[in-house]
Parts: sequence; C-alpha cells; structure tokens
Amino acid sequence: MLFRILKNSFLKRPKAVFLVFLSIAMGAAVATAFLGIAGEVSHKMALELRSYGANILLEPSAAQGGGFLREEDLPKIKTVFWKYNITGFTPYLFGIAEFSAGGRKERGVVSGTWFAKQLEVPGEDISTQGIKGIAPWWEVKGRWPEDADEAIVGAALAKRLNVVPGSDVKSAVRGRIQQFRIVGVVTTGGYEEEQLFAPLVTVQSLLQRQGKVSRVLVSALTVPMDDFGKKDPATMTRDEYEKWYCTAYVTSVAKNVEEVMGGSRAKPIWQIASAEGALLKKLNSVMLLLTVLALGASATAVSTSLMASMAERSPEIALMKAVGADRYQIGTIFIGETLFISLAGGVIGFLIGDQLSELISRTVFNSTIASPLWLFPTAIISAFIVAIAGSVAPLRRALLIEPVRVLKG
Amino acid sequence: MAILYKLIPHLLSWLGILLVLLRGFPVRRTVVTVTGISGFLLGVAGALLLFRAFQGATPFWIIKSSLGVGFLCLWGVSVATVYCSTGRGAMLLWGERFATGSLSAGAVTGITAIVAGAVSACKIPGADGNALAYMALVLSACALTGLAPLLEKLLPASFKVSPSGMLATLVALLLFSSSSILRLDLFSPLSMKVMKGIHDFVHQFMESILIPDHLFVRPVVWKYIGFLFGKEVGFWGGIVIWFTPAILIALAIHFERLPSVAHIRQGAQRRRLLAAAIRERRYRLFIPALALLIFAAAAYQSSFPSVEYWDPKPLPVTATPSGEIIIPKRGEVDLEDGKLHKYIFKQGEREARFFVLMNPAGELTVDLDACAICKPDGYGQAEGTVICYYCKTLIPLETVGKPGGCNPVPVPFAERGEGVVIDSMTLINSWGATVKATVRAKEGAK
Amino acid sequence: MSSAIIETNGLTRSYGDICALKPLDLLVPEGEWLSVMGHSGSGKSTLMNLVGGLDRPTSGTLRVGGEELLALNEDGLARFRREFVGIIFQQHHLVPYLTAVENVMMAQYFHSVPDEAEARHALERVGLGHRLKNRPGELSGGEQQRVCIARAIINSPKLLLGDEPTGNLDNKSTVMVMELLKELRAEERFTVIMVTHNQEVAAWGDRTIHLDDGVLVREDRLKVEGKAG
Repeated sequence: MLFRILKNSFLKRPKAVFLVFLSIAMGAAVATAFLGIAGEVSHKMALELRSYGANILLEPSAAQGGGFLREEDLPKIKTVFWKYNITGFTPYLFGIAEFSAGGRKERGVVSGTWFAKQLEVPGEDISTQGIKGIAPWWEVKGRWPEDADEAIVGAALAKRLNVVPGSDVKSAVRGRIQQFRIVGVVTTGGYEEEQLFAPLVTVQSLLQRQGKVSRVLVSALTVPMDDFGKKDPATMTRDEYEKWYCTAYVTSVAKNVEEVMGGSRAKPIWQIASAEGALLKKLNSVMLLLTVLALGASATAVSTSLMASMAERSPEIALMKAVGADRYQIGTIFIGETLFISLAGGVIGFLIGDQLSELISRTVFNSTIASPLWLFPTAIISAFIVAIAGSVAPLRRALLIEPVRVLKG
Repeated sequence: MAILYKLIPHLLSWLGILLVLLRGFPVRRTVVTVTGISGFLLGVAGALLLFRAFQGATPFWIIKSSLGVGFLCLWGVSVATVYCSTGRGAMLLWGERFATGSLSAGAVTGITAIVAGAVSACKIPGADGNALAYMALVLSACALTGLAPLLEKLLPASFKVSPSGMLATLVALLLFSSSSILRLDLFSPLSMKVMKGIHDFVHQFMESILIPDHLFVRPVVWKYIGFLFGKEVGFWGGIVIWFTPAILIALAIHFERLPSVAHIRQGAQRRRLLAAAIRERRYRLFIPALALLIFAAAAYQSSFPSVEYWDPKPLPVTATPSGEIIIPKRGEVDLEDGKLHKYIFKQGEREARFFVLMNPAGELTVDLDACAICKPDGYGQAEGTVICYYCKTLIPLETVGKPGGCNPVPVPFAERGEGVVIDSMTLINSWGATVKATVRAKEGAK
Repeated sequence: MSSAIIETNGLTRSYGDICALKPLDLLVPEGEWLSVMGHSGSGKSTLMNLVGGLDRPTSGTLRVGGEELLALNEDGLARFRREFVGIIFQQHHLVPYLTAVENVMMAQYFHSVPDEAEARHALERVGLGHRLKNRPGELSGGEQQRVCIARAIINSPKLLLGDEPTGNLDNKSTVMVMELLKELRAEERFTVIMVTHNQEVAAWGDRTIHLDDGVLVREDRLKVEGKAG
C-alpha cells in the first residue's frame, strides 16, 4: 500500500518530484565529483608515501665529490646495521638531453638507473635491486628494459615525442649521441613521466660520468615516527638511547645508511613530501568545504521545494491524520517518498559526478582518474543526507498539521 | 589488567549469550542462570585440564572441533527450520516445547556456556602461573551472569526470540568470541578448505573432461575455470557457507505462514490479527538479522586480525641424556607451516626461549626469542614479518635466521631425519650471553 | 438501551477568548442515531471534532467507548480514531491521486494491513462496484460521498460521525446517502452522530439536540419515521 501511495503521488505531481530529484541529483553529483578528485589526489599521495615507505633519499652533500655519489659504495648499503630492514634501493643519474624521434626534437631528462639488478655482496645473499622493487606502483605499458640500449619513457615525454614501445629515440648530450630502443611507456603520476629511463651504465657513458650516481632512493621497513623517535638522542638517558638505537625509526636507518655512502646526506623523504603534502591537504580541505557547501545548498533547495509542496498537500496530510494515521505512519510516507527520490537522484548524480570529475581532472589537473568503487556508496549516502536534512523542516511541519483546522469547511 | 582488556570481546559475547538465552527460555530463567555460570566455570576448568593433559595444539583442536560441530548443527537446524516452515503445526509445537522445557534450556545453556568458557580460557597465555588472569576471567563472567537478568528486563518486551534464531545467535556469538583467537578461528580455515576443495574438484573432473583445445571450450569458459582457481573463490565460498544458515533461518521466519484468519467474519478484526502477526514476525526477524551481523563481525575479525600477532604459548621441551633437543618436524606441531613455533627449555635454574620458523625461502631456522640488543620481550609474527615486542621493529621473514640488527639471534641446529636437533648447552649459553648483555645494560641504567 | 458510548461532563472548548462550547453534559447510548442541529458557529462541529478525537477539550471529561480521550497523547488519539471512529465530511475529502478503492485501502493501511478484496466489497456495498478504479475527480458528488462512507465503515467503527455529510448534495443524492447509512447501521450496529442544519436530515435520527452559541438549548426525542420508501 505504501508503494501504491508513493507511486501515485509521484505520478500525480511530476513537477514537484522532479524539482526535488534535481536538487538531490545536483548535490550528489557535486559531492561525487569533488570527493572523487579529493580522494584520488590523497590516494595517489598516500600510495606514493607508502611506496616510498618512510623512505630515504641519499644526495651528495654539497661539500664533497663534485655533486656525485660513487656507484661502488652502493653494495655497502646491504651491510649496515639495519640491513634487513632495507627492502630495496635504486641509484639514479640525471642529465639533460636532446631527444629526437621521428623528426621531432624535444629537450628532456635522461635518467640512468637500475631496473632489476642482481646485486652480489660478499657475505650476503644475492638480492635484486632497482626500480621494479622499489616503485611497484609504476605502470609500464610494454616491458622493462633488459639490454643496455633499451629504455622506457615517461608517459608525458612519450606524448611529446610521439613514441610508442618499439620506437627508437636518439638522445644527444654535448655532442655525444646514444640511440635507445623504447620498450615501454611508464605512468607514475609524478614528475618521472617527463623522463627517459635507461640502464645506469649506458647513461653514465652518455653523460661521461662513469661510476657516478646523482642520488639513491632507499626503501626501508621502519617504525612509524612517534614523539619518542623525534627526541634528540643527545638528551636521552642510557635506557632511552638503547631503545632509540634499536628501533628502526626512519631517522636512525637514514643515519645508518648515510655513514656508509661516502659524501652523502640522507633525508627521509617525508621531509620533501611534506611541502607538497601540505599543499594537497589544503586543496583537499577546500574541496571538502566546497562539497559541504554544495550539499548544504542542495539540502536547502530540497527543503524549499518540499515546503512548497507541503502547503499544497496539507489537506491530504490532514485527511490521513483524520482517518487515523499516527506520526510514524505520516513520517514513513514522507521519508519514504524523499528516500525514493534520493535513491534515484543518487544514482543519476553519481553518473553525472563521475563524468564531471573526469572533466575537471582532465582540464584542471591534466591527469586521468580512475573512479574508485567507494564513490558510488558515497554518492548514494550524500543523496540520502541531503534528502534527510532537507526534509526535516517539512516533515516537522507535516506532523504539526492539525486536521481540524485544515479540513474545516 | 591488560588481560581484562584482551578478554573484552569474549566477555561481551558471554553477556550476549546470556541475554539471548534468557529471552529464548523466558520461563526458565533460574535454570539458564545457574547452568550458565556453572557451565562457563566448567568450560574454563576443562580448558585448563586440557592444557595440562595434552601438549601442543591438541586442546585447541578439541575446542575448535566443538565450535565446528556447533556450526554444523546450526546448518542442520537452519535446514530443518526451512523445511518445517513450509508445513506447520509440528514445528510450532516442537518450538513451544523446546522454549519452555527445562531440559532443553539446561542442555542448550550448558553446552553453550562450556564452549564459551573454554574459548575464553584459550585467550589467556600460559597454562600455569596465570592464576590471576583466570581469576579475573571467572570473576567478571560471574559478575556478568548476575547482571544479565537485570539487563534482560530492560529490553523491550516486543523483542522475541525464536528457538532457531536463538541457536543462530548463540553460534554466531561463540564464533565471534573465537574469531579473535587465531588458533580457534574457523572462517579462514573454512575458506581455505573451500578453495582446496574446489581446486581438487576442478583438477580431477574438469581437466579430464575439458581438454584445453576442445571445440566447445571457448576462452570465456577458461576464464571462468580460471576464476575457480583464484584466491577469491575460497573467500566467497567461505562467505556463502558462513552466512547461509542464518539467512535460511531469517528466510524461514520471513516466509512463515501467518495464522489462518479466514474464519473471522469481520474484516477489521481479521486485518488487525493479521497485522499483529506480521508485526510479531518482523520482531522475530530481528534476532537472525543480529546473528548475521555477528557472523559478519566474526568473518571480518578473522580476515583482518589487526591487533593480534601470531604468538603461541612456548611449549616446554626436554633434552635427551646426550644433551640434544629433538623436535619432530611433523607431530602435534607442523614445523614447516611457515608459522612461528615457540619452545621453552629448562635446565635447572636456567631456561631459554627459542622458536622454529620456516622462512619463505623454505629453510628452517632456529632462533632465540630475543635479539642481541633489546630486552628479551620476544617476537610475534605478523603478515610477512616478525615483530620485536620491545622496540616494535618489523623484521622481514626472509631475514629471520640471519644475525644483526634487531633480528632474533640464530641458534645452530641440524636437521636429522624427520626432526630438528639443537644442542642444549649451546642454546642455554647463547640465551644466557644474549640476555645477560641486554638485561644488565637495562638494569645498570636504573 | 445498553450502556453509554459517549459520556461528557462539563465539556468545554474555547479558542482564546471565544468559547465554542460551553460546559456540556451529554450522554449518548450505544447504537443511537443522534442528530446535532444549530446555526453555523453554534459549536456543533466543535462537539463532533472533540468526540471524534480530532480536537482536545479545554476542560471537562470526555469518555468515548470507555476511553478517556484527555488521557491519550497524539498517537493514542490517532489509534483511537482508526480503531473506533469513522468520519464523513461535508467536503468528501478524498486523496485526489488515489483511486476509489485505494482511498478505502488507505484507511485499512493505517488501521492494520490493506485488503483489496475487502475494500472492493465495501465499495460494492455502497453501490460503486463499477467505479472502483476511478479517481475522485471522475466521480460525482454523491459518488464521492459514498466512497467516503465506504472508507468510514471499512474498519468497523463503533461510532460514525457525519459533519454535514449531505451539505453539498442535491435532494436525490441526499436521500440516497441517508438510505445507505440507515441500511449500513442496521447491519453493522454502529452509533451515529450527525451534524446538520437540515431539519429533514436530522429527522432520520432517533434524537436531535440543538446547540446555540455552544449551549445545549433543546432536545427532541423524535421517533418519526424518515422519508422511507
């Protein structure tokens, strides 16, 4: 019976219902779009932070070595005190090169690195080190390079050069030329998409930097930083120092690694990411605020249109009450009505919002987003919230209707 | 009092069990209360006896099996409920007699309470020397038993419990209670069993029938067969088996026939009776729905055992006269299951704690339950790592067995025949040296 | 006559300074057909609303069917209305978007559970078996009023209230409606209280009370046979 009442009430007043539906769908769409973008942004950030782990960047300290680290020091990383907590590391050597492919010329970064190198350290097991292990979130279309003249190229650079796996790219640095065969296009969601990655040895000879690396990324299993970990070791008691020393805080692992790499300075990466993260956080809170505002606005719209239709429907409500409906039954009918509309509004809003978020992220952020599964329930729930928030006042009014006054006459 | 905190889920389950029982046997409140508390105490005592009588995993196996039998019974009850709900009369009569009989009340309460007590006792580490923890468990269980009848009176009167709904909730609560103890957990082994079963089935039947390049087998079909081999199939199969009984009971109640009202001439009267019956049926649906929720919570806890580390009680071992400790690879404990197995060795005043673990590379390692730098608080096993309880450092399983850092100190051992052989003197000395270094540093600082 | 179904003692209802109903003592035995007459503003509708649980008295006691209405809260009054009272209004109030049978089923729904067959039967009893699926807009005034009657009696009320039920009807329809009510009353044995200012309509009842300015001024116990035949 409830469904028959609802169905007929919808069919009889399509305009009023459509108005409510529209406000709810708009609210849900905006919420979906904004939350989708915000979620994607923080998801990407979290992914990166987690994949780097609480990881460590080794850079040359300015004073020594002309701005380079020595490749031969690398195996020592596997011998430090916290060696078992270091799950992987990758050296990089950067240089600016002129790329040319198929008649196009572009300037870009050529980066020499390890992809999956078998590393033998005396007294330790053979391990595989390189990007494959340390950056599992990299998506490679094609395959990873295996030969010295094979390379993968970042998605953005590939677009500029118009290359696909199988193409050849010539890179020139100060007159020296190296031909690379592109075997993959990599999507990372970061600045790496502007680079070309080739085996370290090849890039070293191209750049004339034999045995040198510009930086090393180290991935380590660490204990989350707490207040104790931030304490200055110098001020600790012996007991505390012992505990600090035997705890794998990122700072202690970094210190450990720094000691074996000559002329290096180790920074936990969260220090670098924190500035970027703060900006993203601000962006996210702006998004959240906008979402709340949009939801509030559509709740107000719902409330207004429901209020208007309430005036029109008060004889009907009074009649129901006169026939014997109590407050729960009246409430069921009206809440049921708005929930039905909001379910439809939520679904439609989700579809619109999904498109909207893709449009926004394409035009504003210039990146594609995959709409995550949780957005759908989010859209439905925000539609429900809008509907409930919007129908509180009208429902109150419906419950306060006195049949005697309305039915008089 | 940390132990009380750990016992909270079990005590909550116990309270829930009591409330449901009191509602399910409304005329047998005294029987339920008395049998309940004595059953619980019996369960705790029984578990203690089991720990004394058997070494290793046997007591857990016994308790886990009783949980499994309970779950199977629930399956039977649910099928019977569905069957009876299609006919009628007999079931109603049976349910009536069941809900009012003192024998049924006593039996159901007793069995449930014994299992609940045994499960709770499993949470307390160490069979001996934990008298305080056992006291705390028993006392709080008694307090809850006293509290339950008072709480039950506060529940709304319309909150009715059907016999099948009651059984579903009891089993659900027991499984919830046990799901936080890794060794008693049923859901994960269930999904594993399902996965294995399906794999075997596919192997034995499908592959012999469906030759890969058979004309009718399109790639799509292979995709589905591939799904049967996937990890998900076990999970979803487990979910289906897990939730079906409670769903069946709920459906049986939902489709229960309404009382016949055709003989009442007056329409309003007839409809009023009908509405009352529908309302009453809806109230009775609440309990199976609750059971479903509890089942879901149990499955969740089993799939994401967040706080818990795998940390078995150390089993005492003895040395042969020649001073060798021999641990069979396959016995009560399967050393090669990739899990941490702790042992304790006592020699006079001195003792040493160590564990045997097969690392992901498939090599057995024997290590002290202590590292070279930390206080000997020991290790627990988490996903892919062991954790040092003292400094909370995670150590990858691959590196267990290698010295250095906060890794557990390796102990030399030999694999001889079907066993692991450790020299007891080396073990004791190694423990002594390690612990002396770390503990003295600690005490010296005080 | 059996016991009293309505018993009021010093029943008063005032809206601000205006006293719509001066203290009124009234006793209605079960099964009676009582007509209430008076000019507009005489308090007769107020009396009906009070008895029907649609309004609350300012003071006095009001017992209907053994229930003290003053003691009931809003939901209690709603329950009282759906279980005990059937109301027929002057402006045959029906839900415009529901068909005739659905309007009757709505009363069943609020009372307990809807039963379409029974609702259809009720409409057939009031002679609308051929208009089941029509919406109120497609029905004549008399037909609408008969839907209201079907709705009012569907839950077998003990008390049927009519607030000028024939006020908007022509003579022929009026007679039809009154005949129908009389027939139904003979079958269902409910008590009728009917507010009217039409002498002829009032004459269908067992007893007539006259209200003027909220005061009971006259009481006629007429045993006049109505315009039967």
